[in-house]
Amino acid sequence: MSKMMKSLMLYALSIIMLVTVAACSSNTPNDAANTTSTPKATNQNDPNQQNEQNDKKDEVEIRFTWWGDTTRNELYNAIVDRFEEEYPHIKVKREFGGWGDYWDRLTTQVAGGNAPDVVSMHQFYVSDYARRGALLDLSQVVDSGSLDLTNFPESAINSGRINDTLYMVPKGVTMPGWAYNTAVFDELGIDYPDMNWTWEDYAAKVTEIYEKSGGSLWGSVDGSGGQPQPNFRYFTRQHGQDLYTADGQIGFTEETLVKWWSMWDELRKKGAIPDAATGTEYENAPLEQNMFVTGLVAITQIPANQIYLYQQQFSEGEIRMVRMPTLAGGQNGEYIEGAYLSITEKSKHPEEAALFIDFFINSERSLELFKVEQGSPASTTMSEFVKPLLEPAQQRAVDFIQEVLPYATDAVYAPLGAAEIQQLFSDQASKIAFGQMSVEEAAKAFMTEAQAILQR
Amino acid sequence: MNKLKQAWRNNWVGYLFLSPWLIGVLTLSAIPMLASLYLSFTSYDMFTPPKFIGLDNYATMFQDAKWRDSLRVTSMYVFLGVPLQLIFALAIALFLNRGISGLKFYRAIYYVPSLFGGSVAIALLWRQLFGSKGLVNSFLTTLGFETKNWIASPDTALYTLIVLMIWQFGSPMVIFLAGLKQVPIELYEASKIDGASKWKQFSRVTLPLITPVVFFNLVMQIIGAFQAFTSAYIISGGSGGPLNSTLFYTLYLYQKGFTHFQMGYASAMAWFLLLFIACATAILFITSKKWVYYQE
Amino acid sequence: MKKDTVYEVRTYSSTSISKLSKKLLKHVLIVTIGLGMLYPLLWLFSSSFKPNTEIFQSNSFFPQTFTLDNYKQGWSGLSGVTFGKFFANSFFIVAMCIIGNVIACSMAAFAFARLKFALRKMWFAIMLITMMLPFHVTIIPQYIIFNSLELVNTYVPLILPKFLAVESFFIFLIVQFIRSIPGELDEAVKIDGCGPFKLYIYLIMPLALPALVTTTIFTFIWTWNDFFGQLLYISEINLYTVALGLRMFLDAMGQNSWGALFAMSILSLVPLFAIFIFFQRYLIEGIATGGLKG
Repeated sequence: MSKMMKSLMLYALSIIMLVTVAACSSNTPNDAANTTSTPKATNQNDPNQQNEQNDKKDEVEIRFTWWGDTTRNELYNAIVDRFEEEYPHIKVKREFGGWGDYWDRLTTQVAGGNAPDVVSMHQFYVSDYARRGALLDLSQVVDSGSLDLTNFPESAINSGRINDTLYMVPKGVTMPGWAYNTAVFDELGIDYPDMNWTWEDYAAKVTEIYEKSGGSLWGSVDGSGGQPQPNFRYFTRQHGQDLYTADGQIGFTEETLVKWWSMWDELRKKGAIPDAATGTEYENAPLEQNMFVTGLVAITQIPANQIYLYQQQFSEGEIRMVRMPTLAGGQNGEYIEGAYLSITEKSKHPEEAALFIDFFINSERSLELFKVEQGSPASTTMSEFVKPLLEPAQQRAVDFIQEVLPYATDAVYAPLGAAEIQQLFSDQASKIAFGQMSVEEAAKAFMTEAQAILQR
Repeated sequence: MNKLKQAWRNNWVGYLFLSPWLIGVLTLSAIPMLASLYLSFTSYDMFTPPKFIGLDNYATMFQDAKWRDSLRVTSMYVFLGVPLQLIFALAIALFLNRGISGLKFYRAIYYVPSLFGGSVAIALLWRQLFGSKGLVNSFLTTLGFETKNWIASPDTALYTLIVLMIWQFGSPMVIFLAGLKQVPIELYEASKIDGASKWKQFSRVTLPLITPVVFFNLVMQIIGAFQAFTSAYIISGGSGGPLNSTLFYTLYLYQKGFTHFQMGYASAMAWFLLLFIACATAILFITSKKWVYYQE
Repeated sequence: MKKDTVYEVRTYSSTSISKLSKKLLKHVLIVTIGLGMLYPLLWLFSSSFKPNTEIFQSNSFFPQTFTLDNYKQGWSGLSGVTFGKFFANSFFIVAMCIIGNVIACSMAAFAFARLKFALRKMWFAIMLITMMLPFHVTIIPQYIIFNSLELVNTYVPLILPKFLAVESFFIFLIVQFIRSIPGELDEAVKIDGCGPFKLYIYLIMPLALPALVTTTIFTFIWTWNDFFGQLLYISEINLYTVALGLRMFLDAMGQNSWGALFAMSILSLVPLFAIFIFFQRYLIEGIATGGLKG
């Protein structure tokens, strides 16, 4: 028995050791909170004096959350620090995470009644939040003067409206297009794509790349499925249709869908775009490993603000962009995209939250850091202000955005249930790609099921 | 009177030891569980109050082709993967139990895959191994076999996840090892004197004595594998593709709840799974009376 | 006669050779499988010394340009909060969780395995059932509970459940081990006049040591790696854990810092590996035999 006890004691001892090591090296949460406030205080020139000036105002704490990578996290932290200098009575707590984590956490926070005050918003999700009453109607803080949108073009403001209510304002606007590397085209001896190319030009170019490379290179990524926007959405809008109508119905015809999927199916059968399995393999690959960066395809579709991310991946050539292919004799498909800021409905300090957004999108002190981090600033004065600060790749992005922006027209936001329809769209597209369904069957099934989803 | 006092005393001691768990289960487990049971009878988008709709979610579920896919995929994963993983873990545990120099070192190495958990590195690695340009394919090419895109073909994608499960066999292995530690050495020595062969020694002495641990591993791995989420999530990027071939039950449930904002439906799915697992576990417990030996 | 001796010698040497080759084969087999187990670690390790651009673009296993930048950049964390802080936070949470799990789960397990009380079987079944519901549907109700107690953004939601033995896995594990301890030992102790408390502390706990060690190892590794709970409940960077720190390097819509991620992943595996090596000795040095005799 004594031997047994000895080993138990030894075991207990080692646990205690573990705990002491941990306890010594770690601060309790309270300590941790204290250590943060010190560096912030030193940032201010003379905190006491500033506090006196604002003594009348009560201290307010708001929370701001965003998605981003490490560079953006540093950047936004710095912007928030500057805001706190400017408004010493407002403390801003920062919460951030990568794209996927961000939405998981935000959903839980909103559902759990603990939503941050200022949240980063995106077109993919804004319907889900706004239509369920999670976001504040921003017109009240615009009217009160806390949020100034005078320098914002009407079209940019409209891109944040759902059913005429303003739910979000753009931090930056961006436009999608197709990107290519000049070095790859030069080597193959193929002309660069034209800025105003059509879908026919696109198909021809993709085939040409495939043939001239002797089959070692696919023309472009497969754009038939995945997210229906921007690719398919542009296609419907060029036909005078859209993904959804204003009253929340499917906005395009079965014929358009058949045309779309047939176009891709032909290219796939020719071998000009990747086969289904390869396409799937790379579908969710990180940027550094996607088909364009690893040199498997020559053209890919990206939002303009990512040009400089892509440029960093290549030692040779220049990454350039052209418009989304147009429809011969059709309308313009363009609509404004971007990254946005919203205030949550349950925020206890909407005015302070609005002051923060105002600082973020209107002040030079913020924009000289932001530059074009999430797209070109929507405010016309600010987009002029950041221009001289840009690197060449960022400059190309801004030039592209400004060239394409005039084509943009207002676009309707998705109804509830859109997420499910997106899934259906992508499922059907891969059924075609894997040869499980013909284009006609898949399109027919899509229309029936999508309508059933919207009827619910 | 005395008997009653004794009974009360027994109850009192039992519940005293049980009290931390009891508090935990009544607050932290029961409330959320009952809440989700209620939500399974509602239409709940998480942001607005739930609306009671009776059994609609369950009715929709039984007609949902994707739901059936997910149940099929998961069952395949459980019934193929768990036995393979346990056999592998037990074999390695026996192998590394005694009689080899450098045992500690080997054991630690064999546990390495399990240290990774659901790390993103695994997703990168699996693409490196089983992708179209992966190691497996270059190996097959040198041997003159045909190559395949293992990770993105609908007929093989699930098997790569089963391989992943087997590869991360560390937890059951450790539990087997701990169980083997409880087998008294005297028994081995006795059977050695009897001249029993190694196989006989294993089947007559070792195996019966570790049946409680085998049973534990079986139950736990089955419960765990039915709820497998992370591996499919990181490797398919959350889509469950290609063609739903890796659409694990909980992955679909997560899509429904967090992407499609149908938490009521997701809750109904969860409670169906609970019943399903409970039946499987109950069957195991009933059969266990025939093959699990306790010392009590 | 002579022939016989030669023959004998031959058999002797051939068996020893076959014994040796068998042993060799065993080691070769172990090492080959071992390499398969280690490959990802080696790959991660070598990649952590490559510059970001080289990681995916060169096929070479060894770094062509050797750099320590990933470690420097990774360790520096964000806005002055370094990975050292994240490590300290993770250690704190893990240590608390281990204490909680070992105490609370072993108590419950002892009750289930050795004590008689009303409704025991029912509670046992309930314990198993709590494991069967996918956690995604209880996240929101649980979050609401902790939020209404104003405990979000503290470690309480991560630690408290362990002290309340919410992880049934470990209860069931310890139950199985206690049930393989011979019942006669209990009787002997009871005759000596020991009550249930002494039985628990002096007999059952030492004999169930392998189970407690297993609980410790698993709690350490699982808590260290678990990021979903931490993601939902911890949003302030000063409270970040290693698992959250690692996620910081990834963003599907932006640039991933793979080098820094790999470097910090390697560092984060060190404590896990150390804990496994340190505690596994309790699984090797058999206490069962010594214990039964003593």
